[in-house]
Amino acid sequence: MASEIIYKYLSNEASEKEIQTLFEWIDASEENKKQFISIKKTWALSALTENISTNTTPVIKIKPKNKAAKYLKYAAVFLTLLGLGRIAFNFSQKTKSSKEIVLELGDGRTEFITKTNQSNLVNDKGELIARKLPGQIVYFGKAKDDEVIYNSLKVPYGKTFKLTLSDGTVVSLNSGTTFRYPEQFGINGKRTVFLTGEAFFEVAKDKEHPFIVNANQAAIEVLGTKFNVSAYPETPTVNSVLVEGSIQMYEAENISNAVLLKPNQMATWQNNSKKITTKSVDPDFYSAWTKGELTFKDTPFSTIVKIIQRTYDVEIINENSDLARQHFTGTIKISESSVENILELLKRDTPFEYTIKQSTITITNIQ
Amino acid sequence: MNSNTSFESETFESFKKGKEAAFTYFYDKYFCRITSFGIQFIYDKDEAENLAQEAFINLWQNRENIDSLNGIQSFLYTYAKSKCLNFIRHNKVKDKFKNDLLNHKERELDIEVLNSIQFDTLELTELERIINESINDLPPKTREVFIKKRFENKKNAEIAAEMQVTLKAVEAHMTKALKILKTKLSDYLFLIFIFICNN
Repeated sequence: MASEIIYKYLSNEASEKEIQTLFEWIDASEENKKQFISIKKTWALSALTENISTNTTPVIKIKPKNKAAKYLKYAAVFLTLLGLGRIAFNFSQKTKSSKEIVLELGDGRTEFITKTNQSNLVNDKGELIARKLPGQIVYFGKAKDDEVIYNSLKVPYGKTFKLTLSDGTVVSLNSGTTFRYPEQFGINGKRTVFLTGEAFFEVAKDKEHPFIVNANQAAIEVLGTKFNVSAYPETPTVNSVLVEGSIQMYEAENISNAVLLKPNQMATWQNNSKKITTKSVDPDFYSAWTKGELTFKDTPFSTIVKIIQRTYDVEIINENSDLARQHFTGTIKISESSVENILELLKRDTPFEYTIKQSTITITNIQ
Repeated sequence: MNSNTSFESETFESFKKGKEAAFTYFYDKYFCRITSFGIQFIYDKDEAENLAQEAFINLWQNRENIDSLNGIQSFLYTYAKSKCLNFIRHNKVKDKFKNDLLNHKERELDIEVLNSIQFDTLELTELERIINESINDLPPKTREVFIKKRFENKKNAEIAAEMQVTLKAVEAHMTKALKILKTKLSDYLFLIFIFICNN
């Protein structure tokens, strides 16, 4: 029996004659019938799925470090030095005030950004300044003078957002980020924005008006380029990874303390030492979150905990000291993996138990 | 965007409390799927949509009896399955073929297919995950054809024109896609019989 006829039949494109042949084949043996039922079942149930992603990344792609241990889907490296005697990773101080993305306008008005509302944003002078679309806001126009009004956008845990500034610069904002920016850039001077959290910038070229990201005590100055900045309040560092073009990172209070970055380099500002260091990195790794992926590369579990908390808006309490010392490598597609999926995956490497109570996950040793 | 578990369980809680927005969320998520499922057995888009509507009305009325998030899918499919069976048994399916024997035979087969599916919550979730994964793993061209065919309900000829390939190539991609999916899904207990394509 040519399988083509079955598929033609299932997609309603077979002729009556072909169908007759098919049914005769089905009747010929119990085995044939079972085969047909099995195929039709698959066909009917494949309508179960939706949102098939158009890119080629599989759901969870884990690259084993050690080729000899292929069965080990999640590779881990023990690093005993990193225990730090810290058993509970409890970040209860994280801001949990709002579950929605909040936009604060120059005059103090606040708006919630939801998935469905599409509307125009008007400033206090009644001028159209931006259009809200699902998942992003697009600003346009230039100020007529040097008076600059700042808006601010707060992205809560569990959400991400995209913003197009009035100069055409595109900013992707990661979960748990606050970003302050002018609703329209002034005619003269620099384009200055403020970041707490993580953002990926694609800065529109404009040599006359340097673009400056203020993050913590560091500032990053650029002319037109693509780069990622990570400056979460719970980490004492600011990282900036350059994809293309060139950027300069300097201490906000002391402009002479500066480094110039080349593509594929990362600059790190240390709060404590007030030093800026650079190293070569793979920029894709640091911008993976803009594509909805979490990537880990020999990443300590404590860092993974922070990332999961931000991404899924959960709280994780780890009481398992073995796990606290582990490092992991792998890629996770956020839209298709739940926190449970990730924990189950980690469990295969380092056995542990966990309980979920509302949005708090407690990880314990195996009893 | 995010099929975030904590978000969905919150939505489920508000659904239980009778919040209409939460109901709308699940309606948007599952309506097309339930309709597509129904079409496979009653061969009529309007009827299948009616059936899906009914399933959701019943879901809303019975929301107190649904005790988990996965229970929603399970309820909807189980309802659709029994409605399809009733539909066939009461001879409401329109005759497709001139030869009445074929009409009769088709209904008989569909009843057997429906009876072989169990919409256990765990199975559904797991199956959905496997199907998603398997489709994502298809070779790019094959996946494109498969998605156009199964999720956008396009005809082979339309797909051929859109992708600028021959009709034969489209058919070949579909055969290949189903063959791969079949093999992958067969690993799952749900489907026991491995179909060998070129027998």
